[in-house]
Parts: sequence; structure tokens; C-alpha cells
Amino acid sequence: MSQARVVASSPFKKKGELAPPRRKLKTPWLFIFLCMSPWLFGMVFFTAYPMISSFYQSFTKFNLIESPKWIGLENFHRMFFEDSDFWQALKNTVWISVISIPLRIAFAMFTAWVLTKPKRGRNIYRTIFFLPSMVPAVAATMAFTYIFNPAYGPINRMLEAIGIKEPPFWFLDPKWSKWGLILLGLWGIGDTMIIFLAGLLDVPTSLYEAASLEGASGWQSFRYITLPLMTPVIFFSTVTGVIGSFQYFTQAYVASGQVNDYSHSMYFYATHIYFSAFRAYEMGYASALAWVLLVITLLCTLVILKTQKRWVHYPNGSLFK
Amino acid sequence: MMKKRLFASLAATALVAASMIAATEAAQAAPRVVTVWSPYQGGNLAMWDAAIKRVEAANPGLTVKSVGNIDMAKSLAAINAGNGPDISVSNGNGNLGWFCGTGAWQKLNTLIAGKNGIDMKSTFNAASVASSISNNNRCALPLYSEIFAFFWNKDVLAKAGYTAPPKTTAELLAYSQKLTTFNSDGSIKTAGFVPWAGYYGFDMDSMWLGQMFGAKWYAGDRSAAFASDAKWAKAFNWQKDFIAKVFGGGNFDKGSKLLTKFVAARGGEWGTDHDFMTGRVAMKWDANWMAPMYCTGDDWALADKCTSKVNFGIAGFPVSPDNLAAYGSGVVGQGQMGISKGSKNVKDAWIVMKALATDTKMAAAWDAANGSPSSLLSKAARPDNQPAWYQPVYDVMNNPKSAYHTVKNTGEHLEESMLQNLMASWQAGDTSNIKTALSDLAEKVNQIIARNS
Repeated sequence: MSQARVVASSPFKKKGELAPPRRKLKTPWLFIFLCMSPWLFGMVFFTAYPMISSFYQSFTKFNLIESPKWIGLENFHRMFFEDSDFWQALKNTVWISVISIPLRIAFAMFTAWVLTKPKRGRNIYRTIFFLPSMVPAVAATMAFTYIFNPAYGPINRMLEAIGIKEPPFWFLDPKWSKWGLILLGLWGIGDTMIIFLAGLLDVPTSLYEAASLEGASGWQSFRYITLPLMTPVIFFSTVTGVIGSFQYFTQAYVASGQVNDYSHSMYFYATHIYFSAFRAYEMGYASALAWVLLVITLLCTLVILKTQKRWVHYPNGSLFK
Repeated sequence: MMKKRLFASLAATALVAASMIAATEAAQAAPRVVTVWSPYQGGNLAMWDAAIKRVEAANPGLTVKSVGNIDMAKSLAAINAGNGPDISVSNGNGNLGWFCGTGAWQKLNTLIAGKNGIDMKSTFNAASVASSISNNNRCALPLYSEIFAFFWNKDVLAKAGYTAPPKTTAELLAYSQKLTTFNSDGSIKTAGFVPWAGYYGFDMDSMWLGQMFGAKWYAGDRSAAFASDAKWAKAFNWQKDFIAKVFGGGNFDKGSKLLTKFVAARGGEWGTDHDFMTGRVAMKWDANWMAPMYCTGDDWALADKCTSKVNFGIAGFPVSPDNLAAYGSGVVGQGQMGISKGSKNVKDAWIVMKALATDTKMAAAWDAANGSPSSLLSKAARPDNQPAWYQPVYDVMNNPKSAYHTVKNTGEHLEESMLQNLMASWQAGDTSNIKTALSDLAEKVNQIIARNS
């Protein structure tokens, strides 16, 4: 851009007058640093330092009393070759991820789609469906252990009323306990649902009108318009779902405590980290478990990120495109 | 000139000597402070602090700083960071292996045997003497006891023709068969006895089962004995047989399913809808601190006469036929206290700890307020007007066969919860071969101990 053009466009200078040379402004580094300091402090002391410390500890034997003792890869060897609880926890975690993520996405999308239909009282319905996601996980889980109680819980009373003679024992039965957690998760679908709802409302109605004129059925409209345009939301929900499900803890911990889950059917990876750290006081081993969890989550996320080019449709471009 | 020099030298020497004496006196006059951290609050903390005042009064110049409401995790973190208290208190002795094994609490052997020591056997009851040892080191002194005994509903048993509680495992099964009733749909209405891990918080614990059968937790104080001591397999098989015969009409799976549902419908643990109070169960294992509730309902007072609708008695655990000598005993644990690693004033800490552990005034007040009998043998440690109905609790506590299992450095007594998990898996029918399962368990426990040692 020439100087003359700058002058011409400036309302404060007369036409043809040269603008004075620009003063080089000093970057106020101190001010910027001061503004950033709360975050920096938090980042350094509450994230970076614990992570570095935990990485170091993962190669040590550390019981909180004695100083950490370097043992090389022993924690990792124990994890993969000696610790049956590790495999049990991993198996349970993979199970809940594989089952719950698709179910949550499907249920959230379906609920959101249903909520686009009412002409009146729309906001009330949306609020009702969103509310469960605001209930604290502990309270919700305790309520569900009551609802699913095989002796006096309303669910089994209803199942018996419709003719099911031996309804499941839910949280008290290792074969059914995880399904109880899945249902608990589906009940609190509100947060995912709201994202799908926003996505669905964003789909141009003209596309449906055009499809209708072309004679497309409802299923075809869903398959060729709604679903492709929802893929960014599905992608987002999958990534956050994987990260969340590998850290699945509160509901399982509360439910297993309520019903004495001695069979470890609700023993998840995060629970194993918690027990190793705060029951067995093996901080070194717990740190190693945490780092393996990070690697697993990272790998899963990378795989999803890599494959998204094939199935995620971005009509207006995207960072990931 | 020489004289002047001599005078100057003498003066300088005198000055140095005077300052050294002053420094020594100052050091001697330095305040003797002992810090004590406890988990106590409210009335219990007041009793504790009153005992501390007595220690200070008996030891002029000694100051004891008492801090309440501190749990063991906080103490542990502080001890590790090097700024822990001189003395810390643990509720229960399950963590003793951990505190002793890691050195968080110092060994007391020398102090106990020393000039100002304690004759443990003549001061504390047998269970307390045995249980404050881990890995051959005594690192703690016992405080009050917690007693786990057998509770039975006298009225329900009397209706069935029984005037005394069952003394053997065979009698317990026979009593239960007679006392268990079923609804018309086949579900359990009332149970004689429920041998089910997880029924209530202090019910079918693996430790109780071991005590009934005289099963050892560790062989020769070295390795886990779950596989090597055949009494464990015998105990587990008794549990399975009991479920099949009493609840399943000979069918274990049926009995297990019925019990699962029965247990799921249990009343709340901390109120008058507790199954033992409503008559849903006639006999159970329980902790001494539940007795006041059974006696008065929600009042929880250690009353002279029981006023609630359950007319109950307390006795020792029924025992297996080859363990008859242990009848009358139960499981007895204690609150424990130790001197922290890094304490800079071990000598004074020992004075304070010994005084607190042997303070009969505090022990009696504590017992009167909480129904938690002291571990002290002295009669002065008993409250004056303890109700007669509570006497069996003392009898169980002082039975020479009463004990807590040997503790090892397994973190937060993991061997207990692991055995409990196995028991639950076994009672649900998920474990088919108990000998293999016990063997695997022993191996796991040994691995934990090896890692922590």
C-alpha cells in the first residue's frame, strides 16, 4: 500500500500532504505478561508441573512416605504382564466406550430430531430433555441405584407387571451392571443433544424442499441430507465421547460403592488409577497407568482424526479439512 | 604489659565461657513442644484435649499442641513432606502394616522396653498387644477397641425354642434353617442368618469368616496363607453349603438368587428400619458401636435399659467344630497412634503417647460416651455405670482368642478387600474352583507385599 493512498484515505490529513513517519509502537510485554499471568500460573503449576512430575514418577516406586525410587520400566512391565486388574479395567472401559458412544450419538440425534418437530412448547420440551444433564453425577447415580433396585425399584416392578418374571438384577448382577450405567448415560444425554439440535436447525430447509420436489422419501432425506450435514457434529461427539469414556469414573465408582461391586464388573480404567494411587498408595504405578491412558486416548483420537476425511462432510470448510 | 595481656586473655576466656553457659541454659530452657494430630471432632476432641491437659500438668515445661479433624491422608502427606506431627492417630488398625512397613511411624521396641517403657501384656488386652505389631515391629500404641461380635434376637430364637445363641457353625446352620421363612412367591421373608458379603457394612466380612474357622492370614508371618491353610477353603465351602441348604432347598444357584434379592431390599443401616431391628434377620455379626442403636433405636445412647423393640443378646462368633476353643471370641481392632518419622522430639513424644494410651480417665469417659471400650486392662478404664447388657462386649474383647488378623504392608489393607471380593464372587456363583481362586489370591497378596517391602 503506497503512502499517498494512506494519506488520501485519512480523514485527518489534507489531500496531498504526506503522513508523518509512523512511530514504532513498543510492545507492552509486561502488560501482556501480567494479563496472562493467572493462566500461566495455573498452566505451569497445576498442569505442566504435575504432568512432568507424573511422567517422572511413572518410572519410579513411590509410596508417598519414602522418596521416589527409580525402577525404570518395571511399572509398565507389571501393568502389561502381571496386573490382571489392569486388563479387567481396560476391558470394561473399551466395552463401555464401544457400546455407549454410538448409542449416545444415536439417541442424542434422535432426541434432537424429535425436538425439532413440536410447533408449540418447543422450549419447554428442550429444557425438559436438557435438564438431566445438569443433575450432578453422584446424585443421578444414587437415584438410578434406587430405580434399578431388584427388590423395590420401579423399573423391575414395571417389567414384572408386563410379564417379565425374572427381570435383571441390574447393578447387582455383573452381566447387567454396565447396561445400567449405559442407561444412566443415555438419561443424561442433554449436553450432546443440544449440539445435535443446533446442527439440525442449521440444515437449510431449502435442501429438504428440493428433495421433496424430487420425490425423496423421509429416509432418503435423512440419509442424503441430514446425516451428511450432521457428520461434523457426530465427529465432534465421537472424539469427546472417546476422551470422556476413557476417563469414566464417577458414576461407576458411586454405583459400585452403593451395591458392593465385588465382581469388578464396574471397575474401569480411571477406577484402577484411583485405587492404585489412593488405596494401594502406589503413586508411581498410578502415574504409569495415567500415562498409558493418555497414549491410548491419543491414539484413538488420532485414528478418528485421520479417518474423518473419508466420512465427515464440511459444507463451509473446516480447520480439519 | 604481660599482666595486661594476661588480664585480657582471662577476660576473653571468661566472656566466651559465660556466653557458652548462657547458650546452654537458653537451649535447656527452649520450649518442649509435641504436636498431636487426631481425627477427632466435637465431644471426642474435647475429651482428647482434656487428657492432653493432664499430660501437660504432669510434665511441667512440656507443651502439647493438639490438632483435631485430621484424617490419615493428610497426616501421611505431611509426614512425607517432612512437616508432619510428632504423634498421629489412626482410626482402626487396618493401616498399621502400611504405617509400620513404610516407616511413617517409628519403631517403638526400644522405647517400650526402655526405662520409661510399658509392660504391654499387663497393660493392654491380648488382642491389642498382638495387633499393634506388624512385620515384628511394634510401631503403635492402642487406644480404644472396636469389637465385632455375634448379635442375636432373643425373642425370635425363643419362639423357635432356642434359649442360647448357636455356638458352632453347624448350630448356626440348623438355627437358620428353622428361623428362615419364605413368602408365597418363594422369596425370602425372614432370614435366620445371612452369610453374604455386602449385606451390611460390618456384616459378613472375610475377617469374621476366618475367625470362625481359625484360618490364618499369613504362614509363619511371611507369606499369605489363603491357599496353604485349608481352613479357608473349608470356610468358603461352608458359606456355599449354607446358602444352598438354608435358602435354596439344596440348590445353591436358587439360594444365591433369592439372597441377592433379599439383600437388595435390606433396610437402612443407620436407623430403625435396619433388618435386625425390624426382625427381618434374627442373627448377625456386627460392631459394638451398633449396639446402642439396637438398644434404643435412633437415640444411639448407651442406656441402662434397652427400649427398642428388638430384644437382643451379644455373644462370641459361632465356631467350626475344630475351632471350639475359640468360642467366645470375636474380631477386635483398635484405634492406634504412633510417632511420626522425622519427629524432632521423640523422647517427649513418647512421654505424651504413653500418657495418652494409659490415661484411664479418658478411656472411661470415651467408653461412656461412645460405647468404645478401652484396650487397657485396668478396671479404672471402665466407666462406673456401664449397663449390664453391654458386659458381653467386654467379654468378647477380653477373650484371649479374640484378635485382628496379622497386618502386612499391603497399602490400605488390600488383602482384606481382595478376600472380600473373592467371597462375593463365590457367593454369586461366579467362581467355580475356590482352591485355585485362593491360590491366585495368595500369590497376588505376596506380590503386593514383595513390592512394598
